[in-house]
Amino acid sequence: MPTKRLTLDEVRSLYEKHGAALVGYACSCGLDRASAEDVMQQLFLKMLGEKTFAPRAPAAYLFRAIRNASLNMRRDRHRETDLQPPESWFSHVNGNHDEVATLQRALEELPEEQRETVFLKVWSGMTLQEIADVTETPLNTVASRIVTPCKSCASTWANTSRNEDKRWTAMTRKPNVI
Amino acid sequence: MDRHDEETERYLRQFRPRAIRPLALAPKAGKMLLRSLAFAAAVTLFAAATVWFAHRETMRRTETARLQSAIANNTGVQRYVTTVELTRLALNDNEKLDEILAEESRQALPAVQGKQSTLRVLAKD
Repeated sequence: MPTKRLTLDEVRSLYEKHGAALVGYACSCGLDRASAEDVMQQLFLKMLGEKTFAPRAPAAYLFRAIRNASLNMRRDRHRETDLQPPESWFSHVNGNHDEVATLQRALEELPEEQRETVFLKVWSGMTLQEIADVTETPLNTVASRIVTPCKSCASTWANTSRNEDKRWTAMTRKPNVI
Repeated sequence: MDRHDEETERYLRQFRPRAIRPLALAPKAGKMLLRSLAFAAAVTLFAAATVWFAHRETMRRTETARLQSAIANNTGVQRYVTTVELTRLALNDNEKLDEILAEESRQALPAVQGKQSTLRVLAKD
């Protein structure tokens, strides 16, 4: 329940803390990078314009709002064809673009619900319960969507892109619930 | 979470969502400034118009009072401009009412006794 308005500094802090992950999440929901950034900017500007806004769990609120906005935009644009080449959602700590491409391809090929759940689990910093709230999904279902690689594949995740197929296999296999 | 899950998460955490552009607040701030300026200008204009109108009304009233006073001085009678006053006069003082109406009609209607009056011109035709 909103109780007070967030200050500009608080909003800016939320933006800096969650902005990049929100854009990545919007991309994982099917938006191109530019649209994802636009959606996120609009969300924060709207937050600044709200007279009373202070969600109890800001991160969950933001990811949920981005999800709704992304799905709405995607629905509105379902007849449009995207002519832009896909942009990467991630950067690698060592600047390894091949690894980024591999990961992104693997994520894109996941079923949508699984993709967004994995994304939220790894990069949003939210708890499973918060993820369940954001995705409007029962907690058990969320848990079942979080896939962990099998023992034999776990090490290959940390190896080079030669093992791309194994990694992909690891991500898409039937889930082991955390 | 077992060791393999941790390894997986550790692997995935090597990736970070790409950096984003800063929150675009500048245009909004600019708009706010423009809005504030426009609002201030509107308020100033309204205040100026109100002062001007009030001043004009005061001037008009002063002028009217001055004219009425001048007319009253010239005619020797006070002009009765309101219906209430005329009604009261009609009830109390018929002679004075006749005098006032005669004076008013002299001012309101064109003179017919002058050499170039319309009636004389028509009578010649």
